Amino acid sequence: MRSLAILALVLLLAFCVSQPETIGKREKVVIGVLAPLSLPEGSAQEKAARIAVEEINSKGGILGYKVELVVGDDKLDPTVGSAEFRRLATIEKADVIIGGFSSGVMLATMEVMAETKTLFLTDASSPSHSAKVAENYEKYKYWFRLQNNATTFAYDIADMVKMLRENGYEVKKVYIIRDEHIWAEDVVKALKPLLDSLQVEIVKDVKIPRNYAEYEPLILEAERLNADLIIPIIALAGTGDILVKQWASLKPKLLIGGDLLAANDYAFFEKTGGAANYVIFTADGGTLVTDPITKMGKEFVEKYKAKYGHYPEAHQAFVAYDAVYLYKLAVEEAQRNKEKDPFNSDVLVKYIERFNEKNPVVLTRPIAFAKNHDLAWGDNLTRNWISQWQDGKQVVIYPEHVATGKLKLPPWIK
Amino acid sequence: MIEIIELLLFGTAIGGIFALIASGFSLIFGVSRILNFAHGVCFAVSAYSAIFLIKEFSLDVYLASLIGIAIAVLLGLVVYAITKPVRANAVMVIIVTLAFALLVERVILTSFGNRGMSLTPFVEGVQVIYENLRMAKMRLIAIPVAIALLLALDLFINKSMAGKRIQAVSQDLEASMLIGINVEWIFIITIAISSALAGFAGILYSQIFNIYPAMILRVLIYAFAIVILGGLGSIRGSILASFIVGYVFVATMKTLGTHWSEFVMLIVIVGILIAKPTGIFGVRE
Repeated sequence: MRSLAILALVLLLAFCVSQPETIGKREKVVIGVLAPLSLPEGSAQEKAARIAVEEINSKGGILGYKVELVVGDDKLDPTVGSAEFRRLATIEKADVIIGGFSSGVMLATMEVMAETKTLFLTDASSPSHSAKVAENYEKYKYWFRLQNNATTFAYDIADMVKMLRENGYEVKKVYIIRDEHIWAEDVVKALKPLLDSLQVEIVKDVKIPRNYAEYEPLILEAERLNADLIIPIIALAGTGDILVKQWASLKPKLLIGGDLLAANDYAFFEKTGGAANYVIFTADGGTLVTDPITKMGKEFVEKYKAKYGHYPEAHQAFVAYDAVYLYKLAVEEAQRNKEKDPFNSDVLVKYIERFNEKNPVVLTRPIAFAKNHDLAWGDNLTRNWISQWQDGKQVVIYPEHVATGKLKLPPWIK
Repeated sequence: MIEIIELLLFGTAIGGIFALIASGFSLIFGVSRILNFAHGVCFAVSAYSAIFLIKEFSLDVYLASLIGIAIAVLLGLVVYAITKPVRANAVMVIIVTLAFALLVERVILTSFGNRGMSLTPFVEGVQVIYENLRMAKMRLIAIPVAIALLLALDLFINKSMAGKRIQAVSQDLEASMLIGINVEWIFIITIAISSALAGFAGILYSQIFNIYPAMILRVLIYAFAIVILGGLGSIRGSILASFIVGYVFVATMKTLGTHWSEFVMLIVIVGILIAKPTGIFGVRE
């Protein structure tokens, strides 16, 4: 009898040890959102993820488990971001964390991600993130970016220059105004050789700090230096509206066209009092906020508008919404393949990697990953469409297969 | 030639706005010996209030600005009230006013977000200055408006009876009380004038540039540096220092680049203070 009891105890212990902890204890799926919540780019991520979670829960959750959303505010600070990531991963026990915005914060949070082995489906744009995956795959493989990166932003800007030339607007000299930040540094690094190959001269490259607003002297200087185009590479400065207003009131003989995050805002035209008219911008995240390219995207923006009373305030909403669904798809695929723990991050990395250039998954945008876990770029995949504000509307003007309008020049340039 | 005109005009505009902020900061310190770390609150709140009133109640920009400045004055009086019990302790005054500034910054951050906002300008459009040099009309208007306000302040302090009482309190608090000056009223008048000046500076600044929550502390740093440069307690010194800083700011931006402008401005201030520790107009106490 005694030996039978010992055998039962041993068997029981063996059973407990062999079972993954998560399966035995799981009651729900926890999705963490880490973003700068006081910025539109951050609040849009939280709001979008909330919609996705509500939709998924209304249809039975993920593998029958209810999904819970937990939120952290990185306050655009690497230290705060790291602490919040750790809290979401260890105390809130998030199965996946989505979000991020600042590339600097992302670099710091990736270290906590590697330490906690938490799946991280992100925004931000510096190629230095994916370089980490390429250099040390085992450590950083949990990181995936669901929007294009700074190198591809440069391809988009170079294509914009070509498009302007094809439309009869000669671009020989450009004046760059950019965030004093790692992401803009990366864009310019990639852009310089592309402009060289197009025989375009950069007459000046001006770095601006956060909240910089003194654009008038810069616009006048660009004009004096005979620039044909001001290329803004501005997100974190947060003053794209001021640049555009000062450009529209000075009416210089040069265009504005580039990576101007503020111009992606559906309310940008109104916020600038119409000064945004004729401003050319790249539709970040591979979709126009007011006119998405896929069925899922179109339905999403309408749901967003119905719930919050307005279109997504930033393209990061698409990134977060897609991230939640991508996670669900990966878990379900892992379950279909009878993985022992379909929620395990190491397991899910393999399934997310299956969405590659040959096998993209179409969510609000086509999602496919390169080997370094960057989003694959291309006309038939996801890229920042060249767009323009025309009479209060956002219009895609390049490439032609998705264009909804043609380039219009301001009357003072004609 | 065009570069010099541009430097002068842009530098005078920004210097004028700095002078409105710094003269008020200097006035409060000169009269009540209060280092008001919440001075930037008046600057930011007037602008945010005006933006809110225009957006939510479709008020005229002039009326909205007027109400914004009135709210700035009210907040100045709140600062007076909360510092009164601890006025004898300089460190406590700094802690209380700084805490108040951080509290208001948090409230603005929560209510309006972290992104900069602009106020509708009094006058739209651009003025051709010389050849191809153009300038927003609002920026041009800010120059005479700021100078007129500074002259009015100077006249008030030096010519009016109330101004002379303010000077008297500034020179000797106990003697002023002995000759029957109501010192508390002088403190209240001083803080109201200073808050109104900072509020008006906020209105002008947000019409030319933009306003964001961190401006509350940024403005404080500018004001502090300028006032020390001009000489603590000297209003004329603060005004002169404001324009020096404005020109250095714009000249650096044009020559070395925008990201150097604040750095060079602070280096110049430190350099002048090493050469003349009491500041331009300051005297040793």
